[in-house]
Amino acid sequence: MNLINGPMLKTLIVGAGMGGLRTAESLRRYKYPGQIQILGDEWHMPYNRPPLSKELLAKDQDLDQVSFPIRHDDLNAEFSLGDSVQQLSLEQQSVTLQSGKKIEFDFLVAATGLRSRKLVFPNNSQNGRFALRTFDDAKAIRQAAESGKDVVILGTGFIGLEVAATLKGLGCRVKIVAMEDIPLGLVLGESFGKEILRRHESKGIDFYLSNRVIDLVGDSAITHVKLVDGQTLTCDIFIEAIGSEANVEWLEGNELDLSDGLLTDSSLRAVKNNGTSVSNLFAVGDIARYPNLRFGLPPRRIEHWNIPLESSKRTAREIVHQILPGSIVGFENESGFNPMPTFWSDQFDISILSFGDLRLADENRLLEGSLDGEFAFGYYKNESLVAVAGVGMKSTIHSLRKEIAT
Amino acid sequence: MFKIKVDMEKCQHYGQCVYEAPNIFKLNENDKLEYLASADESERDNVKASADICPMQAIQIID
Repeated sequence: MNLINGPMLKTLIVGAGMGGLRTAESLRRYKYPGQIQILGDEWHMPYNRPPLSKELLAKDQDLDQVSFPIRHDDLNAEFSLGDSVQQLSLEQQSVTLQSGKKIEFDFLVAATGLRSRKLVFPNNSQNGRFALRTFDDAKAIRQAAESGKDVVILGTGFIGLEVAATLKGLGCRVKIVAMEDIPLGLVLGESFGKEILRRHESKGIDFYLSNRVIDLVGDSAITHVKLVDGQTLTCDIFIEAIGSEANVEWLEGNELDLSDGLLTDSSLRAVKNNGTSVSNLFAVGDIARYPNLRFGLPPRRIEHWNIPLESSKRTAREIVHQILPGSIVGFENESGFNPMPTFWSDQFDISILSFGDLRLADENRLLEGSLDGEFAFGYYKNESLVAVAGVGMKSTIHSLRKEIAT
Repeated sequence: MFKIKVDMEKCQHYGQCVYEAPNIFKLNENDKLEYLASADESERDNVKASADICPMQAIQIID
């Protein structure tokens, strides 16, 4: 790596979400001495995404309700918004933007996050069709979601179920279509998932499981969706909540492993195809695929809200350590980036909290409570606890967190 | 010393803050958040980390 900006070295952060903002804040906290520029493709300053499917959608809140407070004097960073990044050249230490602008850097932080996955149908009508990832997405859904409208949600993941609950609360008729036979069954286990299904059904949500939408009906706007089993459902608002794709196309052509996000080492430095780490390119947030030594794993991505936050701090420490070795007390003795994954979800009065890595489990057991009330499940791999999740019972879940294998 | 304010309308008692500043925040036996309304300067970084990790962004430091 060459310090091409001389004494006023520059860290370029691509992505103006929570991960980008927290990286900049952490750099300043650890006394990073150079310039910081943050690029975002949305026009909005960094905001918090979890409320988009819940409070913001329910109460039609504005951006100021979800924007992160920023102390600009302390942050001393330049924001360049509304322009998306097109191409990285590691060799030239520069990125090119859609506007044609070229920006050079000494350190690059890739925090471009995810976009919603969308299907292609024979009738690819877009009017009445939505996904939920951004503030603008949430506002568009809210604007369309009048009481009495027919909503069809594709997918029984957390976003699909949260949006279903919120729109039901606004008086919409809500149907959910999914390929799975049990909502969240593959994530939380069969009994947990069946209980989630029962509670949603008791609130009046209709499920079409082990099923698929094969086409949309309607000319100027969607009026119906056709299912693979032959049924046709009335539909004013069609929401695809079928997961997401990593925004990594701009990193292509640099001999990086982009097969699932951006592969990094345990210090979140990008790894080249030849196995060497790139000392000035870091991945932060949803796109980072890193080895989490806590679980002794091959590298994996985790799309949980705490990962952008924790990976941003780790990255900032690494950058400052490279520039000012010894300035961060104890850094040399730190192990790699080993976060404890955690997530939560609120759907109607169902409050789910989890710690650990559920995907590792080969078995789960009800540990506390009962399925029709509050409960906590333990998730095991080879008899050792790798995750815990439950409804309510937060103190219990926090105590079980301590027993998760490390 | 500085003051700490938690917006209890926003707080959902997930308890994520507890791990960053265990001397300041705790979940009680009824799963409700309890916290100290002021703290010594030595806790400032921890409370700032708690404010960052709060999913509901309900924690404020008041100088």
